[in-house]
Amino acid sequence: MKHFGILMQKEWRENIRNYKIYWIPAIFILLGITEPAVNYFLPQILEASGGLPEGAVFEIPTPTPEQILMAVLQQFQTIGMAVLILAYMATIAGERKSGTATLLYVRPLSFSAYFLSKWVVAAAISLASVWLGFFSGYYYTRLFFGEVEIIKLLQMIGFYSFWVLLILTIVLAASAALPNGGLAAAAAFALYVLLQLADGLLGANWSVSPVKIPQYAATWLTGNPDLPSLWGAVGITVVIILVLFGFGSWISRKNKAKTKV
Amino acid sequence: MNIVEVERLTKRYGQENAAEELSFALEEGTATALIGPNGAGKTTTLSMLADLLSPTSGKVTMAKGLTIGFLPQYPQFFPWLTALEFTEMAAKLSGVETKKARLQATRTLEFVGLGTALTKKTGAFSGGMKQRLGLAQAIVHQPKLLLLDEPISALDPTGRREIMDLLKSLQQDTTILYSTHILNDAEEMTDQLLFMKDGRLIEQGSLSEVRDRHANPRIRIRFQNYAQAVEFAEGQAWGSEVKENSIFLPVQKSGPTMQQVLQVLASKKQDVLGVEFQTASLEEIFLKVVAGK
Repeated sequence: MKHFGILMQKEWRENIRNYKIYWIPAIFILLGITEPAVNYFLPQILEASGGLPEGAVFEIPTPTPEQILMAVLQQFQTIGMAVLILAYMATIAGERKSGTATLLYVRPLSFSAYFLSKWVVAAAISLASVWLGFFSGYYYTRLFFGEVEIIKLLQMIGFYSFWVLLILTIVLAASAALPNGGLAAAAAFALYVLLQLADGLLGANWSVSPVKIPQYAATWLTGNPDLPSLWGAVGITVVIILVLFGFGSWISRKNKAKTKV
Repeated sequence: MNIVEVERLTKRYGQENAAEELSFALEEGTATALIGPNGAGKTTTLSMLADLLSPTSGKVTMAKGLTIGFLPQYPQFFPWLTALEFTEMAAKLSGVETKKARLQATRTLEFVGLGTALTKKTGAFSGGMKQRLGLAQAIVHQPKLLLLDEPISALDPTGRREIMDLLKSLQQDTTILYSTHILNDAEEMTDQLLFMKDGRLIEQGSLSEVRDRHANPRIRIRFQNYAQAVEFAEGQAWGSEVKENSIFLPVQKSGPTMQQVLQVLASKKQDVLGVEFQTASLEEIFLKVVAGK
């Protein structure tokens, strides 16, 4: 437990001093604002980019605020998750490859503290970024498109957070297992795409699936998702995350011989 | 008392043996020099002792509760941490009490000559400073065993002198195992020598034991020119070797002794430039042992 505190301080300093604590939230805030802003200013944007042909009549239906927030979630699902994967792909593999890990590994290090300290700091920054992104999106959505109950938004963010944590845990475990950050990112992306593909093809038969969490989370905006399915999916996600904690700690220790000496 | 015993330690990578059947012991409070050409397996051996690598076979037995400090050949630091932050973290991770860690880190950094760079980011450190910081993180928790991989090779002559003196001052209460290919340094601080080549230990023992086995003592007489040397060589019964203007007389139990040589020289009224007793330097011994096996 003592090591956990020491290593967390190190991770915290790292994330501040390599500016991750600033640029990751900045990207999510930008993504969150873009969706309502682009939709609101669409007519002006079309006008500025050359406009429509003379005489063309083009009715653009005004989206509902709920649709805008769902679009924000879609942005997070594609660009946002990619940003998190790229930001944290080298967390452990990079330390081994550069050799900075060596001076940690030669000490009586607790590898579960090592893995968890990285996870906690990365999770804090990722969740804060996602939440800030949604709140900024929510602010402009209300401004431009109308009211959405805050409780609906909070329910969506709350459940979506489990998904974010799952992706992050997969990236860190891949980083612990694989020789470099690029491979870790590739593995995480591959898993991400495969899971969604599998869910798209076979998902109809299985409602209790972690991959469905984003979809269920978005459902909170317009109604209520099927609660047993949602909680079942969350339960499975938590179990997977816990299993990955164990795997990540174990594989970090196993791979300590691969650090550059 | 031996605080480390290594028995038939082997590390295999595929078909290649990076370390093969190494057996040696480290006695408490002694300094051991691990000497060998590049690729001999020195780093692999140290990594196994530091528990970074697990051996393919054989075993390392360490005294109970032995604390270890390790300095890699090219220590790498988190560039965004300051020297003090890093050393303090190293101390805490090695079990130094939180309250004492900062003070101990500060003192250690001052000890290695980084007292003015405490709050400087390690990313801005020069090679020599990194080497000193590497030493600081290895000794900050006052380990009983210090494993140093080429601790001074990367330093300039002044720095090398300073670090050698630091290491010698640590020697009183620390057992040191260090690898080097600078044999002058090894000669200066060593109780035990381990010669490695191609993953194997090809010679080991105390400095005097190794010297006795390979020192090849001889008396060298320098003449004005080659002809004089040859003439002298032919005029006496000892086995001798002539090189340029000098003659080398191997010293064995049966002689010759310096006194006998001087008597002969005096009786011949032969003019010489110099007479001296020579033994092989560690470097010569090393080259001979490495070439021989």
